[in-house]
Formats: sequence, structure tokens, C-alpha cells
Amino acid sequence: MNDMRIVERDVDITENKITARGVQVYYGTNHALKDVDVDILDKTVTAFIGPSGCGKSTFLRCLNRMNDTVASARVEGEILLEGENIYDPKVDPVQLRAKVGMVFQKPNPFPKSIYDNVAYGPKIHGLTRNKAELDEIVEKSLRRAAIWNEVKDRLDASGTGLSGGQQQRLCIARAVATNPEVLLMDEPCSALDPIATAQVEELIDELRSQYSVVIVTHSMQQAARVSQKTAFFHLGHLVEYGETGQIFTNPQDPRTESYITGRIG
Amino acid sequence: MTDISPTSAEAPKRPQAHGSLLTATPLMKRRNAAETRFHAYGIAAIVVALLTLAIMLFTIIRDGHSAFYQATMTFPVTIDAAVVDKTGTRDVAEMTKVTTIGYARILGESLVKHLADEGLVVEGMTDKEITDMISKDAPARLRDRVLADTSLVGQTVTVDVFTGGRVDGYFKGRVTREIAERDSNVTVTQLDMADLMEEAGILSSQFNWSFITAPDASDLRPEAAGLGVALLGTLYMMLLTFIFTLPIGVAASIYLEEFAPKNRLTDLIEVNISNLAAVPSIVYGILGLAIFINFAGLPSSAPLVGALVLTLMTLPTIIIATRAAIRAVPPSIRDAALGVGASKMQTVVHHVLPLAAPGILTGTILGLASAAGETGPLLLIGMVAFVTNYPASPLDGGFLDPASALPVQVYSWASRSDPAFIERSSGAIIVLLIFLFFMNALAIVLRRRFERRW
Repeated sequence: MNDMRIVERDVDITENKITARGVQVYYGTNHALKDVDVDILDKTVTAFIGPSGCGKSTFLRCLNRMNDTVASARVEGEILLEGENIYDPKVDPVQLRAKVGMVFQKPNPFPKSIYDNVAYGPKIHGLTRNKAELDEIVEKSLRRAAIWNEVKDRLDASGTGLSGGQQQRLCIARAVATNPEVLLMDEPCSALDPIATAQVEELIDELRSQYSVVIVTHSMQQAARVSQKTAFFHLGHLVEYGETGQIFTNPQDPRTESYITGRIG
Repeated sequence: MTDISPTSAEAPKRPQAHGSLLTATPLMKRRNAAETRFHAYGIAAIVVALLTLAIMLFTIIRDGHSAFYQATMTFPVTIDAAVVDKTGTRDVAEMTKVTTIGYARILGESLVKHLADEGLVVEGMTDKEITDMISKDAPARLRDRVLADTSLVGQTVTVDVFTGGRVDGYFKGRVTREIAERDSNVTVTQLDMADLMEEAGILSSQFNWSFITAPDASDLRPEAAGLGVALLGTLYMMLLTFIFTLPIGVAASIYLEEFAPKNRLTDLIEVNISNLAAVPSIVYGILGLAIFINFAGLPSSAPLVGALVLTLMTLPTIIIATRAAIRAVPPSIRDAALGVGASKMQTVVHHVLPLAAPGILTGTILGLASAAGETGPLLLIGMVAFVTNYPASPLDGGFLDPASALPVQVYSWASRSDPAFIERSSGAIIVLLIFLFFMNALAIVLRRRFERRW
């Protein structure tokens, strides 16, 4: 991919996957996210950028209700996944998370075999009837995460014994194994070296064909490289949201311009 | 600077704000000295601790090792049918009517005869003095042997019998001739005879298995006292305590650590668990006495009650250790499991518990080890009672039978008047330490086996 071509990159999908309206998040008395409205498109990579503490990770964690695990967190507003409010009391977050997979900042494979890492999700969600089907899902997921060739001979080896980049791709394989519709990535490359980063970025671009990918990143270059849409967060506000090319070349808001040119952040 | 290097005379004097690196500044010297002192303090503390441990072990082993050896006489005994089986029918029911007094006479007569046959004579020694050298416990053991095998009646069998505690003490250096002169329980002639018997090979010091297996014995028979009942009692209590504490402790810890909302109530519970860990153990004894014995009506001296009291006492420690182990599991693992859609419960059971297992087991076993050495609360629930019958097997309700416990046995022996119990007391401490050593070794082995890196 080439940074220079971001202007030409167009978004041909118009179908909304996630619609957020008036989302407010409080941590205790701290108002962390203020009135966020976003439409996240299907089969698109959407990048959230912004300085530390701006709320981009908080918003990402709202999308699969991982914030539920934080006792003091309170979410208001509505987030619709294909028209269904995920904060509806009838929604079980466990079911939601099978549809909205997540990859974390630090590679966090389970201290189990590579096979078990990937098979865990399908197993608990009852996606397979027998071992052969499970084997197939594991292979498909590992292939999709572009790690199959590296690990196919040692599926019984521990997932924690892989290198950082391989671990992160294993985590991506684990996330796609449950066949999610949306893939959330919270700074997936911040713990990786440049080569592993390049591999993961390439992978993200491939994943776009099947999933709606939302990625939080500190690196504006990365956002520019992998995303079609970019949202800039600042101090809990969604400042600007648009096509990546437009955000990086012709930002509408002076705060966005200051950030991408390195004056705030 | 030119390419030509300046000679030393021409070298410009550089400002020496920090002084030369080759000489230490006064501040640096003080800092280094403080560091050296700190090292010395640390080493001194370790040396003091190790020295104390060494002294403790040395005195215990010095005083206690002799408990494992016992002066034993070996001589032939003719089991006189006229004495033990008056009816001549070999009927066990009839034979049980003969008390140990009859067997004591057989033993005494046989020993007197054997010594005469061997030609061992001490001037002025009466037959009664010879008979008194035999342990008061020996007739009972002979009686048990004959009742178990009636074919022995009328035969001459070789028996190993303990000498009395004083004669045994003579060989262990506890009893001297000067003491014997003032002691009504032993005479100097008996000691002379003991020397002769040792030369003749009739009397020797043998490893004393019955110290580990036999039940306790009365003040008059220190040589027969053993740890059997106490060992069984401790074993039963540890088993029950383990069964009670592990599920309660783990369930409470998981709830508090993973599920409980953080509010005033849980804060209060947490503070109280920490406080309970510091409550003196004797308080748990009173509690156990009031609740389990007086209120619930469970029998006193029972391993079940002991285990319940020790469970109450150990639970706070185990909960604290288990919570620490659960907290040590990195949150990223929980995130990972929740992220793929595991429920809270699945996250805990599939991922958190396996990773915390080594810590939980270690904490539990160390908690049990400290409970195994606990004396105070057991005194209050009657475990200090003099128990000479083994508790039945657990399947036959043995958990409700009276039993003793190792630390309590140490205490009760240490408080008896006969000096022969001092070595028994120390010997019991050695057995207790070995017991604890194995428990701790088990903790380490389990830890190694279950330990996984992430």
C-alpha cells in the first residue's frame, strides 16, 4: 500500500453496520465520551485516531460492551448493530461478542495450544458438531489470519511460544473463528515491531473483504495506510469523521488539522 | 582542535565541576558506605535466622532422636497353659478372663530362669527386682499375641520386650547410678544387671516402631507411649480440613474477586476476612466448643470437630492466598476470553482458575500445614484427652471417634512428670516436623506440576 494514494481511495460501500447515536460514557463522575454519533460501514476499515485519553478506546469497547466489565462505567445513548440496540436489556453481551470480535493491544493468546486458542470460541458457542468441523474452522481461521503456513506443523505447541507478531495474528485468528461480523482492534500493532506491523496491516486490508473492521491506532501513518474512513476524537468529542483521504489532506476542523500536523497530541 | 594532538603541557585545563572520576567524592563515599552497611544488616539478619533455626533443630534432634530407640530384652518365654488357659479348651472367650497379671508372672518367671541359665548373677538381687526390669506394658502385648494365636499356649516362644523406662533411661544417659540410689522406681542392682545383660546380648537398643504406631500410654509406662493415635488423628483432621476449606475458600475467593460488586458490604467483608486471619487461634477453639460440641452436640475429642475448628481458623488465610493467586492472573487473559464471547463463569472456570491453581494449592497446603501445627484450639475441644484406642477407619465413623493430634501430644507429653517423656515429646516434634516437611514438599511439587507461563 502506498500512503500517496490515499486521496484516490474511495468507499463504495454505503451500507451501515453500526450506527451510534448520542453515546455518552461516564467512568464514575468522569464524562469520558460526549455525544458521539458515528455510522460504521460494512466491509470497511474505520480508524479511530486521537491523542491519549481522548476516548477512542472507550468508544471501541462500547461496541462489544467490554465496558460492562468496568464496574464504574455507564453508557448512555444507543448503538445499533444492524438496527438492533446492543444496549437493550434483552441483549446478552456474550452473544453480542460472538458477533463483534475483538483484538487487543497486547497479544494475549491463552496459555494453551495454538489449536485450542482458535477452537475455544467455536467450542463455547457450539458452532461445530464434530471434530472434523472444528478442525476445518481452525484451519480456515488460521489461514484467514495469514498464519496457517507458519503454525500448521505445530498446532499442539503453546500459543504463548510464538513471536509477538505471530501471537497477534493468532489472536486475530481466534477472533475470526467465531465468524463475527465486526472486528474491533485496539491498537493491534503497538506492541509489534515494524515487520510484524506490516504483516498485520496487510492482514487487516484483506479482512476488509469479509468484515467491518474498526481499528484504534496512535499511528496516523497506520490509519492512513489501512483505513477507508477515519474518525478523530479529542477530549471525549468526536471532532471529525470522514473518508480517510479527506481527513488527512483536507480536514474541516482546525483541531483535526493541528493533530495530524503534530501540533496537539 | 588541530590534527596535531596537543602535548600535555599545552592541554587546556578543563573545568572540574564533578572532580575526577578516579577519586570518589565524599557524598559518594557516604552513599557507598550506607549501601555496604545495608548489605551487612541483611546478611546479619539471615545469619541470625539460620542460626536460630539450626539451634532449634539441633536441640530437638539431640533430645528427640533417642525416642526412636528403645532398650529391648530378648529372651524365651514358656507360655504356661496352667496359667493362661485354666480350662484347657483353648477357648478365647475363657482365656480373656486371664488378666495381664498372669502374663506378667509368666514373663517374670521366664526372665529369672533365663538369667539363671545364662549365669548372669548380681549379688543381692531379688527375683522381684529382675521382674521389675520388664516394662509394665509387656504383659499386655504378650496377652494380645497369645489371644490372637492360641496355638502358642504351652510353647516356648522368643519375645522382645521393652525394659522399664528407668533402665532404658540408663542406656540413654538420662539415669545414672547416683540418681538410681535416690529413685524408688529403679535400683543400682538393676542397672548392674542391665549392663551384664547387654554384654550377654540379651538386652540391646532397637529401633522402636511402636513409638510411631502405638497409642499413648500412661505416666507409669513411658517406654510404651507412641504416636499412633495422634498421627491418625492429625491425618484425619487434615483430610477433613482440606475437604472443607478448599471448596469454601475457592468459591468465596472467586466470588469476591470476580463477581462481587465493589460496595460497602464487600469492603466490610474483605476487611473482616483480613481481621479473622489475625484472630488468636484459641478463640476459634472456644467458638468450636460452644457451637460444635455444646450446641450441635458433636462428640468431643473427635477429628471431625477438630477439622471444623481448624477449617474456621484456616479459611481466612486460604481466602487471602487464593484471592492473591486469582488476582495474579493477568487481566489480558480475562479480556481475551470475554472478547471471544465466553461468559463470566466460563472465563473463570476455563482460564482464570487453571492459571491460579498452583497458587491456590500452595496457599491451601501452607494453610493446612499451619493448621496441622495448631494446638490451642484443639485443647479446648478435648483433643488433649488420653486416648489409647485407635479411631476406626473413616468408613466406620472414625471421624467421630476420640483421637489426639500430634501437636497436642507434644504438649501433653511435655507436661508429664516422668523425665522419660521429654525425649518422647521431642521425638513427637521430629515426627510433626517431618509431617510438615512432606506437606510443604507436596505444595512445591504441585506448584511445579501445574505451573504454566503466559
